[in-house]
Parts: sequence; C-alpha cells; structure tokens
Amino acid sequence: MTLRTYIISRILLTIPMIFILLTTVFVVMRVLPGDPVLLHFEKSENLEAMNRLRVALGLDQPLWLQYVNYIFGLFRGDLGKSMQDFSPVAQQVFSAFPATLELAIYSMIIAGVLGVILGVVASKSYNKPKDHIIRVFGIVTYAIPVFFLGMLFQLGFGVGLHWLPVGNRFDMSLSPPAGLNIGNLHLATGLYTIDSILEGNMFKFVTSFKYLLLPSLTLGLVLCGVFIRLTRSNMFETLRLDFVTAAKARGLKDSTVTYGYALRNAFLPVLTMMGLQFAMLLGGAVLTETTFSWPGLGSYLIARINFRDYTAIQGTVVVFGILVSIVSLIVDILYAYLDPRIRL
Amino acid sequence: MRSAKAISRVVIAVVLIVVILIVGVVGYYLASPPATVKETLLMGTTDSVESCLDPARAYDFFGFEIIQSLGSPLVEYKPGATGAASDIQPALANTWSSSSDGLTWTFNLRQGVFYDDGSEFTADSVKYTFDRGIQIADPDGAWVGIGIDGIINSVEVVSKYVVKFNLKIPFAAFLSLIAGQECYIVDPKYAPKAGDAWSVNDVVVYQDGNPRGSNPMGLGPYTLANWTRVAGKDTAMRLEANPRYWGNSSGLPKTKTIVVNFYTSGSGLALAMTAGDVDIAFRQLATTDINNMKTNANLKVWEAAGPFIQYLCMQQKNAPFNNVNIRKAVAAAINRTALVQTVFQGDAQPLYSMIPTGMMGNTNAFQSVGDPNYTLTQELLGAEGYSESNKFTFTLWYETSGHYPQSQQQALVLQDSLQKSGLITVNLEGRDWAAYRTARQEEIMPAYILGWYPDYIDPDDYIQPFVSSTGGSWIHHNYASTQMDQLVEQARSSTDATARANLYTQINNLMVQDVPIIPLYMGNQFAVSKTNVQGIYLDITQNWRNWLVYAQG
Repeated sequence: MTLRTYIISRILLTIPMIFILLTTVFVVMRVLPGDPVLLHFEKSENLEAMNRLRVALGLDQPLWLQYVNYIFGLFRGDLGKSMQDFSPVAQQVFSAFPATLELAIYSMIIAGVLGVILGVVASKSYNKPKDHIIRVFGIVTYAIPVFFLGMLFQLGFGVGLHWLPVGNRFDMSLSPPAGLNIGNLHLATGLYTIDSILEGNMFKFVTSFKYLLLPSLTLGLVLCGVFIRLTRSNMFETLRLDFVTAAKARGLKDSTVTYGYALRNAFLPVLTMMGLQFAMLLGGAVLTETTFSWPGLGSYLIARINFRDYTAIQGTVVVFGILVSIVSLIVDILYAYLDPRIRL
Repeated sequence: MRSAKAISRVVIAVVLIVVILIVGVVGYYLASPPATVKETLLMGTTDSVESCLDPARAYDFFGFEIIQSLGSPLVEYKPGATGAASDIQPALANTWSSSSDGLTWTFNLRQGVFYDDGSEFTADSVKYTFDRGIQIADPDGAWVGIGIDGIINSVEVVSKYVVKFNLKIPFAAFLSLIAGQECYIVDPKYAPKAGDAWSVNDVVVYQDGNPRGSNPMGLGPYTLANWTRVAGKDTAMRLEANPRYWGNSSGLPKTKTIVVNFYTSGSGLALAMTAGDVDIAFRQLATTDINNMKTNANLKVWEAAGPFIQYLCMQQKNAPFNNVNIRKAVAAAINRTALVQTVFQGDAQPLYSMIPTGMMGNTNAFQSVGDPNYTLTQELLGAEGYSESNKFTFTLWYETSGHYPQSQQQALVLQDSLQKSGLITVNLEGRDWAAYRTARQEEIMPAYILGWYPDYIDPDDYIQPFVSSTGGSWIHHNYASTQMDQLVEQARSSTDATARANLYTQINNLMVQDVPIIPLYMGNQFAVSKTNVQGIYLDITQNWRNWLVYAQG
C-alpha cells in the first residue's frame, strides 16, 4: 500500500466515524427529557406561539426527517441554526474555535515537551531518587482533576502572587490582537499570541501569553503524566539495545546517544499517544475553559447542553470529531512516514 | 527673675508658632489635590446578555442591567427604594397625574433632552416605544411575559412634551410597571420598523463590530462603546459616558468608563475579585465565597435584602395534594430558619408570605401555621389516616443545573425538616433546568421548588402570577379559587393604598387557608468591591446603577 492510498483509506474511514458519533449525539439529545422550545416560554405558555417556533426550528417534523435534513445540511457545510438564539451554529462554533485551538496547541506543547524531557531524565536515572520523584510527579498530575489543579494555580499565581490573571482570554480594556493589516490584506488566525505577533504588538503578545499561561499549564501538566511514563519505559528499553551500546562504544557524546539515537526510536509510541491524547485534551479543555472562563468551544458546549440546543451541541461534536480525526490522521501519516512497516 | 516683657515675648512667640503650625496644617490639607475619581472601573460578572439589548425582547437580569445604563425611563426608583410608591422619582417625565378612575395617566416630559445622536426626545418617542413593544409582542420578551397589552390600551401624544396613557384596567402598579427596563425609551432611528407592521424581526439584535447598531437606546448615562460576543456569550463590553445624558448637569455618570469582565463561574469571579483583577464583582457569588470575602480587609461586601423569593408548589390536580389538609400539614412541617441558616448561612431571610418582608401587603401569615409546628402536622395527617407505621410519602423535585441557588441543599434541608414530623417520608428527585421545565409542563411533579424575580416592584407581582387562576397557569399547580381571583383583581386595580393593604391581608389569610403555594425564603443580594469603591446601592428594585458607582484613585 502506498502512502497515498493509505491516507485516502484513512480519510474514508473518518467519514463513518463522524456519522456514528453524530447519530449517537442526535438520538441521545432527543431522548433526554427537555424541550428547547419550552425554554423560550417561561411565563407565557402560548401554545400557538410555541408551535410556530417548533415549526421554525423544524422540530415539528418526524425524527428521521430531522436527521436526514441535518445530514444533507452538513454536506453543504450548514450546521443549522441555534435553538437558543437562532444564529447560524457554524458561525458560533467557528468564532469559539480559535480559543480552544490555541489552548489545545499550547497545552499539547507543554505536555509533550515536559513529558518527554522528564521521561528521558527518569529513564537515565532508572530506580534512583530522581526517577522516583518524576514518577510520583507523573502519577499525581495524571490523577489530579483539571479543575482542582486549575484552582490551585489561580490561588497561587493569581490571588497569592498577583503575577497572572485568574481568568478570561485577554485584557478587556484593550482591543484584542488584530493580526496583519496591510492595505486590503487582512490576516488573522484568531489565536491571540499569533495575531499579536502579526500585528507587531509585543505588549499584546505578552498580555495574551499571560492570560494563556495558567490554563495551558494546567491542561498540559494533567496530560504530561502519560508521556512521562511512556517515554520513560520506551527509553529504558531502547537505552539497553545493541545499537545504543555500539554508539556509546564508538565514543559518541552521551547526549548525542540519548537524544539523537535512542529518543528517535523511543519516540514513535509517544507520537501515537499524542494522537490518542488529543481527544482527551479536548475533553480536558472543556473543564479547563470553565475553570478559567476561557471563551472556547468547551464553555459553549456546556452552556448549550443546559439549553438543549440540539443543533449547537451536534455542531460542536462534529467539529470535535473532525478535529480528532485530523490529528489522528496526521499522527498516522507521520508514523507511516517514520516507520515504513506500517504501510506494508 | 524674668521681666514681664520677656514673658510676654515668649507667649507671643509661642502663639505665633502655634498659629503658623495650624495655618500650615490646614493649608496643607486645603492645598492638597482632592482625591481623584478613577476614570475606568473594572466590573466582573458571571452574567451575559441572554438574548439582546432591545427592551422589546430582553428579559434577563444582565440585559436589563445594561439597558438601564444605556437608556432612561419616564420614572425611576430612588436608590435604596423599598418598593413604596413614594420611592418613585422623575426621570424623563417631570410630573404626572392620573384620573380618578385610574384609567388615564398623563406625563409632562422633561424638555431639552437629546439622544446620543443629537435628535430630541419628545412625546413621539414615548408613543413609538410603547406601540413598538406591545405590537412586536415577542414571546421571549417581558411585554408578553408581563402581559402589558392587557394593561395599556393606547398611548396618545397630547403635545410635544405631554403624553397620555389610556389603560384597559385601573392598574395600581402602573408607575412601577413603566419604571421597568422593558419600558425604557428607545431611539426610533436605531429601532426602525422594516415593514408596514411591527414584527419580531424588528427586534434589534447583536451585530458583530457595531455596538451602536446593537442597541436601540441612547438616552442613558452611558453609550455602548464595545460589545463582543463569542458563540452567543458576552466576552467583552465597554460603556463610555454619554456626553448628551440629561443627568450630566448633576455630575452623572460618576465614572467615565466601565469595562465588564465575564467569568463562567461564581468561583472564577470570586478568585478574580480576591486577586484584584476587577474592582467590583456583581452576580453570581456563592454564599461560601461571600462569607470568605467578608473577612478580607481589602474587600468590601455590599449586602441588602433582595426581591428574589423561592417557594414550594404542590400539584393540586391529583391526590395527595388535592387535599388541603395534606398541603397544610406540609406547610406546618417546614423549618424556614433551618433552611436559611443551613443552606445560606444566614444570608437569606425566612419568608412567611409570597410578598417580601418590608413590602406593603406582607403580613407573615404563614407564621400562624408554624415554623415548624409538628403537632399541627401530626394532627392533620392523623385525621387523614396517616401514622408512624403508615407515613405520608411523596416525592419532592428540585433543579440541579444552577438555575436556582443551592437547590439540592435546599431539598435536603426540606426533606430533613419534613421527616422530623415523624409522619412524613420525602423522596428527592433532581433534574437539570431543561428537564425540570418539561416536567413542570407535563405536571408530573407532585411537589417542586420554584423561584421568582419580580417584573415590577409591587405586591401584585408577588400574588397575581401565583394564585390567580389566569396569571398562575404557568406554574401548573392547578389552584383555582373564585374568591381569590376576585380579591386579586380588586387589589391590583384599587387606587387607595389603605384598601389595597387590607385586600392583601385578606389574600394572605386565604393563602394560609387554601395553601395553594408555600413561601420559603427571600434571598439577599450581594456585590463585592475593593474598599475604595463607593456609590453601590442594592435595593429591592434589583436595579444596578452604574452611573452612581465610582472609585477613589
């Protein structure tokens, strides 16, 4: 199988996965008690007006027809209208998406870098105090609930030391980073750290980074435990393989052997885990966003579940599903590229 | 021995030194620059505008709070109001009068008032606002929720500065009604009519990047300089002083710029307040956080009785609660003191009438049933055939998604209080708000806890929506009484204060007799600020007056 056919088959496999996910959410939401129409009418339960709204939202149709309509809309890139505020869901989801993406990227970087470095250090000091300390650290961060760690950071760095803000994404008295604007050219990613660099405003970069630091550190730390353990055990095995001994025997520097030879080999399973962890990262992001008042998809999802905003929930789940598929696809491709045996 | 001359010289010198010192000290204080007022205040909240900032649709606390800063009503409540008629003061109307039958109200408007865009406010603006609100008739909005079209018949422009309201019914709480945020005057230029007739499509909604076009106000102390929403929730808001505000001559607003910071949880807001990230935290803070902040020397906790009440409803369509003795037995077994002390740590008050304590018409009538009076519970249930071996058992439902404060704890305390009677077993059932709301509609909950923020500050709004057979249908408790209906109608239409007070006493007594609903507690309201913040007024009107708030710099 060539790399190209491998990629195509992986993409094709993604489609049924999204459908299964979407169908499950579609059915579960409608089975749950609660009616998005009723929630618009607190005191005036005017049946005529309620029916009008039901028709306008398409909720008067049989369930199977609602499902078919939704799927057809999806193919056209239409995620439907919110049942709470009647705005296009696609617009809402994509306005909240950059905040979640920025949090996810920085958290993954922190988790990956910290996890791999500590894993290597632990494997090099196998069964010594340094190894024990790192292992305990990995277990504790893995076991600690996101919101609890987040609150500890808020209390320490925000309330105690006044170094960092305890919530939100940016200083509300400033205008958010605008990105690059040259003549008619407008380039903005929605990621504040990137947009402030594009705008050339270092103050805004530092500000956005200050707001980002605690949430991403919280999520990154919670996720890094897995990488520590995986890197440690893989490195432990790899460092005892013949090619490492041979490299050492040739007199190569210890760091070259560890990072240039052993880690490259031990890294493959870690990479796979990064792909798998991405789904967990998004789940963690939901809690992190709530803890830090981070205006992303997680906060959006929680608010909309309470309102039984079917379309908004479905839209968010579809985007989460696609995102996880893309990341796992990228990881698989990288893996296949790094390890040709996969394509056999 | 020193000469008298020398002594007098010393005395003169001492006096001179003292005078110089006094002049110096006084001069220093007089010459010192006065403490400056901070130009910008940072507000923190867990609220968000629910739908929009158009009074034709907005029906939520924060939406109303911002509308209040961007617009003005004809009349308004004084800061610190208790809900009395004398608490109402002029705003856009200088004076007013009503006909003897209470069916006509005439308002003389303030002259020389301009919108922020420079156009003049006249009687036409008032007619436009009320015609628009009534005819748009947005089912999500307060106009329909309150049923204003059932009260106001028409609005007439008498002259440029005189406007007349013709009512369908004499309505005692009319001034209170038009002081409400849904009746704030809009700017016709920013609230245009698209077609021939008004429709819900004419409601002014959020426009990304266009704060002025996102609200139809313009007569208030502030203008909306920035309003950013991400995925239907507020993420940034900035209010700037309106240079054309009619109250500018009185030095209002006191703070030039207000920046609102949004938090997703009460604990997040409490941390931000404690860390000093915001100057003021207003809504919603948990009782434990507030109590912690009360002991923080860097913070000031502002507290006052609020208009929010909670009450227990019983489904009277079916047994067992179609039996008034059973309902009364439950009422007698409720320990409200335990409820407010255990759940709210004293930051709430027991409520013995649907009308809050301190408001005209409150008589604490339910105290006569007990708080608790287990002997009465046992007598009543015993007469119905219940005993220790055959206990009266029912399920109490409560809401679990934070729609009401600490609902689960409330349910647990109520369960404990009722079971202590020895003859009652209570099972608990929790649902999130969406499911709870459906269960209420389907009338499947035998007993359930609800809460209420008033639409206008008058006893009528604590009685008519609960016990009148028409007004109370939304609760689905299926209580109907001709005698009660008559009393409620008389009380809401009477123009005589003494007669109204008497009528509400009769209503309270009838409520104790019929037990259609059981009042539980009234909540306190809180704001927390840094110690340099002044001008916060919390009162029963639930108004938040941004224009009076300031901080010494």
